[in-house]
Amino acid sequence: MTPIVEITGLRKVFPNGTVALDGIDLTIQRGEFVVLIGLSGSGKSTLLRCINRLVEPTSGRVVFDRTDVTAAPGPELRRIRRRIGMIFQQFNLVKRLTVYSNVLAGRLGYRSMWRTFASRPTDEDVARAYENLGRVGILEKAFSRADQLSGGQQQRVGIARALMQAPELMLADEPVASLDPATSHSVMKYLEEINRKDGITVICSLHFLSLARRYGSRVIALKGGRIAFDGCPADIDEREFKDIYGEDAVEVEIGVTKTAEERVTDERERAAVIPEADSH
Amino acid sequence: MAEYFTARGLPVPPELQRSPLTDWRRWGVLALVMATLYIGVQLLNIDLSRANPSYALGQMARLLRWDFRIMSPQNEFETFWDTAGGLMIVTIFLGIVATAISVAIALPLAFLGARNIMTGNPVTAAIYGVVRIVFNVIRSIDVLIVVILLLPFFGLGSAPGVFGLAFHNIGVLGKLYSEAVEGIDPGPGEAVTATGASRIQVIWTAVLPQIINPFISFSIYRLDANIRLAPILGFVGGGGIGQMLFQTIQLLEYEKAGLIIFMIVVIVASMDFFSAQVRKRLT
Repeated sequence: MTPIVEITGLRKVFPNGTVALDGIDLTIQRGEFVVLIGLSGSGKSTLLRCINRLVEPTSGRVVFDRTDVTAAPGPELRRIRRRIGMIFQQFNLVKRLTVYSNVLAGRLGYRSMWRTFASRPTDEDVARAYENLGRVGILEKAFSRADQLSGGQQQRVGIARALMQAPELMLADEPVASLDPATSHSVMKYLEEINRKDGITVICSLHFLSLARRYGSRVIALKGGRIAFDGCPADIDEREFKDIYGEDAVEVEIGVTKTAEERVTDERERAAVIPEADSH
Repeated sequence: MAEYFTARGLPVPPELQRSPLTDWRRWGVLALVMATLYIGVQLLNIDLSRANPSYALGQMARLLRWDFRIMSPQNEFETFWDTAGGLMIVTIFLGIVATAISVAIALPLAFLGARNIMTGNPVTAAIYGVVRIVFNVIRSIDVLIVVILLLPFFGLGSAPGVFGLAFHNIGVLGKLYSEAVEGIDPGPGEAVTATGASRIQVIWTAVLPQIINPFISFSIYRLDANIRLAPILGFVGGGGIGQMLFQTIQLLEYEKAGLIIFMIVVIVASMDFFSAQVRKRLT
């Protein structure tokens, strides 16, 4: 079976000189639940955005289902994007519009210009919108303004919007970083469900290693724009962890496995500690 | 005060390091302001010797003894539209029409003058630069100058008034609208782009809903400003009630001028109130 995503020699240097990605080679098979981990600034967001070219790579190639994304001209790129859903840390809903309108926006790639301007979705699109809203359990909020929903609900609207595309691949950029632990799990469970039931490949960046272990079928760690670890979540041992998150975090992680209530002193440690405490 | 910090080996806050009385920078700024004002007064050569307060008070009092003849036609050739009431209505509509013209032109141009929409491509980035410069140049030319410049083109009357006012406002509204577009949250646009939407679809779905309120707010603010500016345009030949006010002042008919000024104040103040109310509800 051909891989769904094939990345070779991917580099991204931002105009200010920051090297966000420094030679990424990566193959992702259909059906995988890939979790990207790494410190802030390690290139997780940039990697995700290079896959659907929200960020233009400096060099290298991204191939999505045998189509070269990096070389695709405008219309073809939009056809590729249509098959790739994406959800975001800040949910990125149009706050002043209703939940229903936001979800329908997920269908724009399939919609003619005329239907966009006339705000006339097809019957099929409307049926899909209700189906997906029901799926993420938010049907009764369909005509509320998006900004009246809680964070967890907004992220579910984001998932419903992405599902409207009937995607084969779902990119999730820190989908739970703005949410509390309980809500985080509920959102992650929806991602798990679409991965298992619908067979949608998921690439999801996360801050919390416990969530990565719980939901990922494969974990890829980025460090300084390179892949520092790629393998089974269970294989991230003490040494790998130290390598990814740095010396300070390691000892806390060990301490946490012994006593869950270990004192938290620094942001980096917190990333390692809180989810451990939460999962017990 | 500073001893508290030095005694404890703490860094002294900068505002405590100098005494305000001995700070040469304060005295320097004060000296600069005084010198500027002195030069200004010398250059202006303000002459108060011919001031005549008692005469002025008498003339001012005439402003309040309103002459209501301007409210009705004075001969068989005049109609309601030659009276102060009619001209006031014409002037209000002059402001409304000028606002409408400038909104219609500034609206599409505003997207071309918004950095976040136009960057990412050298051609569009160049268009952005040109549009912004045009906005700034237009804005810097005062309405009265534009109206005077349009006089040889249209002749006396409402035409130079409407188009002059509209022209100036394209610059003002264009800048305000562009800045509103630049101030939007880029997140929704990114999300909609990721669904495979085209640039036009992204603007329609993710940008427009975010800017509708600021656009309405700015448009009403400019409508308010234009109705305030419209009565002045007649002074230079731009039509409306300003022309009548100018004539009555030239003829020293202060009883008529006073009534016209009063009408303008009422209209402008109520427009101001209305505009503030609407804009308050929009935010």
